[in-house]
Amino acid sequence: MNKSVSLLLPLLLLAVLPAGAQERFVFTPQWTPQAQFAGYYVAYERGFYREVGLDVEIIHPSPTQPALDRMYSNQSQATTLQLCQALEMMDTGVPLVNILQTSMNNALVIVSRTDQDPLQQKGMRVGTWSVGFDQMAVCLSLKEGLDYQWVPFSSGLNLFLSGAIDATVAMSYNEYYQLLQAGVAISDRNVYRFCDHGYNVQEDGVYMTRAYFEKHKDQARRFAEASRRGWEWAVEHPDETLDIVMDYVRKNHIATNRVMQKLMLEEILRLQINRETGEREFRLRPDMVRLATSLMLENQLLLRDITMDELLGR
Amino acid sequence: MKRLLDIIRQSLPARLSLLIVLFAAAIFIASLGFMFRQSQKSVHNEAIYRAEQVLDNTVQRVTNLLDRVQVATDNTDWLPVRHLDAPDSMFVYSRRILVNNPDLNGCSISFEPYYFPERGKYFSAFSINEDGVIQTTQEGNAGYEYFTFDWYQLAKLLDRPCWTEPYFDFNPNAIYSKEMIASYCKPLKDENGKYVGTISVDMSLGWLSETISAVKPYPHSYSMMIGRGGTYFVHPDSTKLFYETIYTETLEKDDPDRVALGKAMQAGEEGMKRMMMDNEDCYVLYKPLGETGWSVAIVCPVSDILSGYKRLRISVILVVILGLMLMWFLISRVIRRELEPLGRLTSQARTIASGEFDKVLPDNGRVDEVGELTRSFSGMQHSLVSYVEELKKTTAQKASIESELKVASDIQMAMVPRIFPAFPKRNDIDLYASMTPAKEVGGDLYDYFEQQNHIYLCVGDVSGKGIPASLFMAVTRNLFRIIAQQGHSPVEVAEQINTFLSQDNDQAMFVTMFIGRIDMATGRFDFCNCGHNPPMVDGKFLPLKYTNRPLGLWDGVPFQGETIDDIRGRQLLLYTDGLNEAENDRQEILGNDRLMKLMEGAGKLSAREVIKRLQEAVERHRNGASPNDDLTLLCFRLLQL
Repeated sequence: MNKSVSLLLPLLLLAVLPAGAQERFVFTPQWTPQAQFAGYYVAYERGFYREVGLDVEIIHPSPTQPALDRMYSNQSQATTLQLCQALEMMDTGVPLVNILQTSMNNALVIVSRTDQDPLQQKGMRVGTWSVGFDQMAVCLSLKEGLDYQWVPFSSGLNLFLSGAIDATVAMSYNEYYQLLQAGVAISDRNVYRFCDHGYNVQEDGVYMTRAYFEKHKDQARRFAEASRRGWEWAVEHPDETLDIVMDYVRKNHIATNRVMQKLMLEEILRLQINRETGEREFRLRPDMVRLATSLMLENQLLLRDITMDELLGR
Repeated sequence: MKRLLDIIRQSLPARLSLLIVLFAAAIFIASLGFMFRQSQKSVHNEAIYRAEQVLDNTVQRVTNLLDRVQVATDNTDWLPVRHLDAPDSMFVYSRRILVNNPDLNGCSISFEPYYFPERGKYFSAFSINEDGVIQTTQEGNAGYEYFTFDWYQLAKLLDRPCWTEPYFDFNPNAIYSKEMIASYCKPLKDENGKYVGTISVDMSLGWLSETISAVKPYPHSYSMMIGRGGTYFVHPDSTKLFYETIYTETLEKDDPDRVALGKAMQAGEEGMKRMMMDNEDCYVLYKPLGETGWSVAIVCPVSDILSGYKRLRISVILVVILGLMLMWFLISRVIRRELEPLGRLTSQARTIASGEFDKVLPDNGRVDEVGELTRSFSGMQHSLVSYVEELKKTTAQKASIESELKVASDIQMAMVPRIFPAFPKRNDIDLYASMTPAKEVGGDLYDYFEQQNHIYLCVGDVSGKGIPASLFMAVTRNLFRIIAQQGHSPVEVAEQINTFLSQDNDQAMFVTMFIGRIDMATGRFDFCNCGHNPPMVDGKFLPLKYTNRPLGLWDGVPFQGETIDDIRGRQLLLYTDGLNEAENDRQEILGNDRLMKLMEGAGKLSAREVIKRLQEAVERHRNGASPNDDLTLLCFRLLQL
């Protein structure tokens, strides 16, 4: 067999394979398109999913179809969740399995309107997302006896900017930059970073229902592998990655801009590095899982302990 | 360039016209500079005023609309509070406000969760005006938890009426508003003052956005509106709308001016800033929109504001440059024409200078300075011709006189003995003399001769100089020779010369004279000094008992003589005041002291050497100055053999 034929053969084989040979897989990120999900967009656009035999479709959640609802109804096979959210879900009796952990650090911060340490302002009104993500903040308030009045908001920072609340929770890759973009002065004094104060609990990971996982373990492994490859490619090619993200942003008419997405991508990639090893590990850390469960149990956000094995579907 | 400079240097018209144009240009530049500065200031002020007016009007119009929303709400909100026992009435009130105000978009009267327990968690009476059709519904549900929305929470938390930021309303189970809207919200309180819910009236911002976008006082100016968070809600670049804030670019690239503008606008300030916006120098005027927390700005590029003014300025500068060039052309033509007679005059003068004095100058008929100059030049030419003629004559006369004077000088010099050694046959006499007149002829004299074993000698100095003195000198010398040859003593010689000279001496001329007679056998030296310088003997001034009067002034006066018994071996120097009173160019005389010094050690020198030394000394002292007097020297020594 000559060389040219040996090179052409795999291509010919690919071309003649029936479309059905690719397994359909719907992935739903937890939120609207943004750089937080860059690795998945990259894996899709660069064909990494296709290479592992997956016909992935990325469908973003809508107000009528939140990510979890899509997963429960089997419309999507996987979604991203924060570790604490996943624990809460599992606590309510929904078995979930973590198939890929991307975040290695906690991104939650509290920003105060005045130039004062948030921990010094007991009883203040603190804005929080009406859809959650605030488990560590609740733990902090209870543990430190801060007695914060939580004000759930649906979106945006207008309550904070108009002075209706005294402080707000924010993600260091998202709302934090939005606050800067709104001209809010942020200093070391008025920001409380959970990761620096004993609350460094991992966040984003990819989850699927245990039932689906049990039947499609290999598929789950391949999806996780291709997704991880997507993230690694993003690290190597931040500009191209940003172009891909902005394509998604534009198609979905998301009210953001390239500057914000660039900052978000940089921060998301930074959060993926284990501070202790300096590596991108893409794994759940048992100590962090223990920290999360113990904090949540202590503050009655969980009613039972959830183990690492359970999270990993073992 | 060099050629141009040469033309300017050599041509008076070119230089004059250039100078005039340069001065005019300097004055123009100064005046125009001042005018430009003033007009730029006033154009600038006028433009700012105009932009301010436009901004004020726009803000006023928009505020009027916002006020109407507030008034509509204020006129209605008492109704729900009064009928808190009848939840269904809320639908009526919410609908009524839209019926009464057709330009409003929607109205919701919403309550706290479970406020009406029988209605469940959600109760929000919402009406919307869709193209004139008003729909009313209860819009709260699990997918639309209105009490987490800004329009509900702001009024509750702030505990006062307020405006939300502009937004796209979204309710998946009900109505989707495609338009940008903003809501005016008021807290609703029961009779105890307890918060129960929020009334929120929505207004489409389409009109507001169009009104603000249309504000364009200059061709490239534009307007924008930002919200509390700095988000662009009106901006000519639609890609920025809702997506970017005034600070977005500053996160990547420092821009303190833009940050300051954003802060001022967010703080509800009114003002103006000059700053770079998208690499263009701009004025930004900004003003808050009532109580909304939003702020409107007009961005006017400076180049736009000043474009008309700049066009005018370029035109004026071009006109001035053309004017100056025309001015130069005309002025140089006029000056050239006006100075043309001068050119002719210059050419004539050159001809005259070459010697053609009879060249006739044409009369240019001018009565101005140029005409006057021509006439003066003509007069000068005539005077010059006469003068040259006169000069020719005088020169000829002078030449004749000089020739005669030369002859006179020769005659005069021939009158004194000039052959040395004076007595070749006698080697015991060392005598040398010289006479140097200050002019062609002089008034000095000397003489010596031998008579019956006696040597007679004399040195004299006639008053005055030149020809009269020389004539007087000739007379005196002849008298000396005639009288002395008769063997008279020096006193007698003096007396007789005096008698002769005194007669018919109308000119009152006189002569000072030293007359001496040496007996060669005994060395006796008789002498009579008639007002003359004392002689020097052996380098020292000879003290005289009698000076006597000069000869020729008074007839009959007695003269006294003196005697040195033996002068043999001693050096006698006779001289006129041309020696000791010789002046240099600073009018300093040689003086007796210097003379004494010169004579030191002269005892060993011969008569000729002594005379030579003294002549050189006088020459040195004069240092190039013309002689001020005749110089006569006579040195004598009777040697002892």
